[in-house]
Amino acid sequence: MGIGPSTKETSLHHFRDPLLDVVSNDTDLDLMGILLVGTPDDNKDKMLVGTRSAVWAEAMRADGVIISSDGWGNSDVDFTNTCEQLGIRGIPVTGLNFSGTVAQFVVVNDYLDGIIDINKSADGTETNVVGENNMVALDCRKAMALLKLKMRQKDQKRD
Amino acid sequence: MADEVKDLRKLVIKAFHMSEIEWGEHNDIKVDGKMTVSKEMLEELVAEEEYIEKIDLQIIRPGDHDRWTNTIMDIIPISTKVLGKIGDGITHTVTGVYVMLTGVDVNGKQCHEFGSSEGNLKEQLYLNRAGTPGDDDYIISFDVTLAAGMGQERPGPTAAHRACDKFIQSYREKLKKFRGEKCTERHEYHDIVRPGKKRVLIIKQVAGQGAMYDTHFFADEPSGVEGGRSIIDMGNMPILVTPNEYRDGIIRSMQ
Repeated sequence: MGIGPSTKETSLHHFRDPLLDVVSNDTDLDLMGILLVGTPDDNKDKMLVGTRSAVWAEAMRADGVIISSDGWGNSDVDFTNTCEQLGIRGIPVTGLNFSGTVAQFVVVNDYLDGIIDINKSADGTETNVVGENNMVALDCRKAMALLKLKMRQKDQKRD
Repeated sequence: MADEVKDLRKLVIKAFHMSEIEWGEHNDIKVDGKMTVSKEMLEELVAEEEYIEKIDLQIIRPGDHDRWTNTIMDIIPISTKVLGKIGDGITHTVTGVYVMLTGVDVNGKQCHEFGSSEGNLKEQLYLNRAGTPGDDDYIISFDVTLAAGMGQERPGPTAAHRACDKFIQSYREKLKKFRGEKCTERHEYHDIVRPGKKRVLIIKQVAGQGAMYDTHFFADEPSGVEGGRSIIDMGNMPILVTPNEYRDGIIRSMQ
């Protein structure tokens, strides 16, 4: 498993990415950048690159992270590990991922409660229709609102 | 003041809308919205690539999607740098038409990694997403036939992307010279520091396992191939880019 036609993000998607639009236009947030991380084949490598991403976020003193993936199945291993690595470093994380009915996380942990399911198909499946199960602006606004909430909850706990 | 918003750099993207796409003697693009498509480059593109057997071009008019398509490998905007590098300066891009790269091998095996989208185009392409054409957009179909089995080996799809990029480059060279003030849309983007606000990082997990599961960055041209590097060859390690680099097409999706 990997990236299905309905979830894959085309070059045009990256050029007009709704997640970047939504986050960069919010004047309450200081968007530091976009960290692009691969999805290796080997399990050990998956843990390595995700952990390095979390270390980056920690060293940048990120108050919060929004993570997205355009694949499902084995790429969930990468996704959930990166969420966990951020979580154990105390960095609030929300994200966007295709789940539907066929692609619930193959592994789970305690840091996945802010993940929005970007499924758009009626029966929650990989439809092989290009673009169908892509994130849209509304998904991104949900993930951002949830992140703001999580960051606020963290501040309140601290006070 | 310490809390003042800091503007790091500006990117201007000027869009030129294309309203008429026709067959012509040469690939050509005009600032008044007329574009011609020619098959004259195809023979040379095939000759240059060991694993490509054939390339076919189609002009698909808006809504004319009741037709066969091989699996859709990518949808690509036609954009070019006019001033500066990806992420700052000026970029010219085209609206109203996008290039669709499709692929199959000589034995009819579709070029895909996990699920494929061949079939009737009107059923296989969801329009009006960020990554897909809209109802009123033309599509230039660039359909590659690879040598047997090469749709599943990394050099195959990479060759298809490279050939398609050379085709697009013929338009970029002309688009670069358009007079900026003739654009139909102008967008200005700033990389901004907002001191005192919550610092947020976006992490994008991208493909990096092999054939039809690859992502390239840092090409010479926006959404391009030439000069790019594969995340696989960089060990899939995290790479940081600025918001403006991202929105200027620093990623070429190869999955």
